[in-house]
This record gives sequence, C-alpha cells and structure tokens, in this order.
Amino acid sequence: MTYAYLFKYIIIGDTGVGKSCLLLQFTDKRFQPVHDLTIGVEFGARMVNIDGKQIKLQIWDTAGQESFRSITRSYYRGAAGALLVYDITRRETFNHLTSWLEDARQHSSSNMVIMLIGNKSDLESRRDVKREEGEAFAREHGLIFMETSAKTACNVEEAFINTAKEIYRKIQQGLFDVHNEANGIKIGPQQSISTPVGSSTSQRNSRDIGSNSGCC
Amino acid sequence: MKRRNVPKPALGGAGEAGPGGTAGRPGRLQRHLLSGEFDELRDFPIFESNFVQVTQLGEVANKVTMGVAASSPALELPDLLLLAGPSKENGHLELFGLFPLQFVQLFVHDESRWQLKVKFCTGRAFYLQLRAPSETRDREFGQWVRLLYRLHFNSAQGAVPFTQEYSAPEDDEEEEEKEEEEEEIRLEWEEHQATEARLDPLASELWGL
Repeated sequence: MTYAYLFKYIIIGDTGVGKSCLLLQFTDKRFQPVHDLTIGVEFGARMVNIDGKQIKLQIWDTAGQESFRSITRSYYRGAAGALLVYDITRRETFNHLTSWLEDARQHSSSNMVIMLIGNKSDLESRRDVKREEGEAFAREHGLIFMETSAKTACNVEEAFINTAKEIYRKIQQGLFDVHNEANGIKIGPQQSISTPVGSSTSQRNSRDIGSNSGCC
Repeated sequence: MKRRNVPKPALGGAGEAGPGGTAGRPGRLQRHLLSGEFDELRDFPIFESNFVQVTQLGEVANKVTMGVAASSPALELPDLLLLAGPSKENGHLELFGLFPLQFVQLFVHDESRWQLKVKFCTGRAFYLQLRAPSETRDREFGQWVRLLYRLHFNSAQGAVPFTQEYSAPEDDEEEEEKEEEEEEIRLEWEEHQATEARLDPLASELWGL
C-alpha cells in the first residue's frame, strides 16, 4: 500500500504502564488484559490519514523494564515521534518521567515530537496522579499531553494521530528535513514531497478521525 | 557501523536455500529490512529461515520467518533474534519483533521433524518447524543446530542445545526460575558488553555455520 510518508514512533515508559496495550488497541482495536512482558522491541504499523495524505506509522514498542533499558534505548535513534507513557494509578511511573525524557532527548533527534500519555484513565477510583500534574509536566517540558485508556480505547486514536499531526505540521513548517533519515521520516515509495496523494485513495484506505473526542 | 549492503552468502540461511530463494540471494527477512522502512536494521548480517509455528505436539499454526542478526561487525556471534510473519492486511512479510539473544534461548526440540524451541526469559515459549525444500532441509536445519551449539557454548547456559536436557524441569518451575534467569541475563549482558570491544572484527565474517 502506498503512502506519502512513514513516521517512526517509539513507545517508552515504565514497565506495566500499558505501552503494548496502547499499541494493540491502536493497531488491532482490541484490549488484552494480560500481556507478556515486552523484551527488546515489538513492532506495529498502521496507516492514518493526515490532511489528505496517507501516512504509515511504524511503531516500536520498547521494553520498559530496567534490565532491558540499556539495550532498547539504542533503538530510539531516528524516531519522529515518541509516546511517553505513565500509569495514572502508579505515582512512581510519573516520577520516572524525567529519566525517560532525558533518555529520549539524548538518543533521538531534537525535533522529535513527544506525546505524554497518562494511561489507565478508566481506573478513576484508583487515580494517584492528577490530570493537572500531567498537564503541568507536559507544559514545562514542551510535550503534548493526553490521558488515555487502552482498555476502553478512550483517546488512543487521538494520541497516535495527534502526534502524527504535529510531526506533519513540523514538516509543513520546514522544521523537519524529510530527506534526513535521522529524523524518523521517510518519503513513501514512488512519492515525491510535492506530489499530492489522490483523495479517493486516501479516504478509502484511511481511518481518519476528527478532533479530540474528549471521552476521558 | 560499517555498511554491508550485500549479505554474505555464508550467512544466507533461507537466502541460500529458502523457498523462492536462489543461491546467494538475500532471504525474505533480509529483503524486507532492505526495503527502506528499517534503516536501523538494514545493514545487519542475518541468518534466517522460514518456519511454521507448531504446537508441542506438532500441529501447525502460522508461518514465521526467524532470523538471527549481529548488530555490530565487532561481534563474533549474532546478538539479536528477529521474528517476522505475513501481515494480516496483505500477507506481505512484516517484522513482529527484535529481541536481544541474551534474553532468548534457542533449542533443538525435535531434530527428526526439524523443530526448534524458542524460549524467552519471561517464560514464554513456542515451537518452530523448518519450512524448506526437502532436498535442502537437512542441510539448512544443520546450520541452525551448529549455530545453536555455538550460542549455547558461548553463553553460560550449557553447551548442548537440546530441549531434552532442559525442558522437563523448566516447564514446571518456570515462575520460580524467572527472577534467577533475569539476574543471570543481566550478568551475561554486562560480561558481553565488556567482551565486545576486544573482539576481532574479522571474526564476525563467519559464524562457523
């Protein structure tokens, strides 16, 4: 299937925050309550439509456990977007964000778009991190912020797609050099950046969404 | 890392003998990685084969392409396991995962059926049966057996890569052994990191297969 751009994403954050579940919900539209611990990197991919262009998201779901971290961080290189995930019911996963952010900044392009995600928003009764704290952290560090639930699918589409929209906006503004592979963006096969993608094809193949549903 | 655009025929695996492959031609997985979507992985030397996933009793499930790769020319043995399979959308090969071999054990499960066992340090395990033309199947499986011997010899896990020596106790005690295994894995990784700088780059030209 043809696409205008390919964006590489990484999903990072502590073990057990729901990184793999977010990926599964986004790619397969299903939730798996028990998931094997991720070791190394697992991959997912999906086409989305941004501003009439087909964009392939290539998603690298990394292991969150400390013992695997030194290995997986070598794969941050060349990511255009990062989903930095914490669990709103576990304060320590929020406390570790600074360390994850340092890792991401150190091993990736400075232009990388980072979406901060407070996951498990369906577990409101067990909430340990206020939404305002997530918002403040994101503001302070220049991140986009959303709360999601991989279980109910709330805001999952939006988290992945809004990240793509921000990357695309940066491309349009000339902040991303699409010819530099280190930026995690590739021009699709048989595409040129000046060639518009046929709208009928885009619509037929896409799962575009509107603005935030605000379900969380 | 030094660019290696043409995989070495000696590492060919399915590239040499796999379905649809011709001598010296990169295998399906290598070709997928060379297609342009995985810049980080495209230069890795890979030994790969096509398999079908089977149950422990040998019932066939799905197609899997498995490869081992070296992430650096300084390594004398592969350090990564790659798993791929047909995508649900169009059947084209799709990379599912990349796993450091420090966290994976490979065993010969049933030599007569060309079956391997893949076991992750988390306890998850599955069985793969080689899918190759009958005239080359034994030779290709033999390359995997030799590779497994080398990997086991190189690790602290014992030198004999057959499930018969391992599976009976491990199936019952997986949970208890998990933490112990992870600690071992951490130690091995540190040791491996220390060794890497001392290896002669020329040694990685062949994995002795």
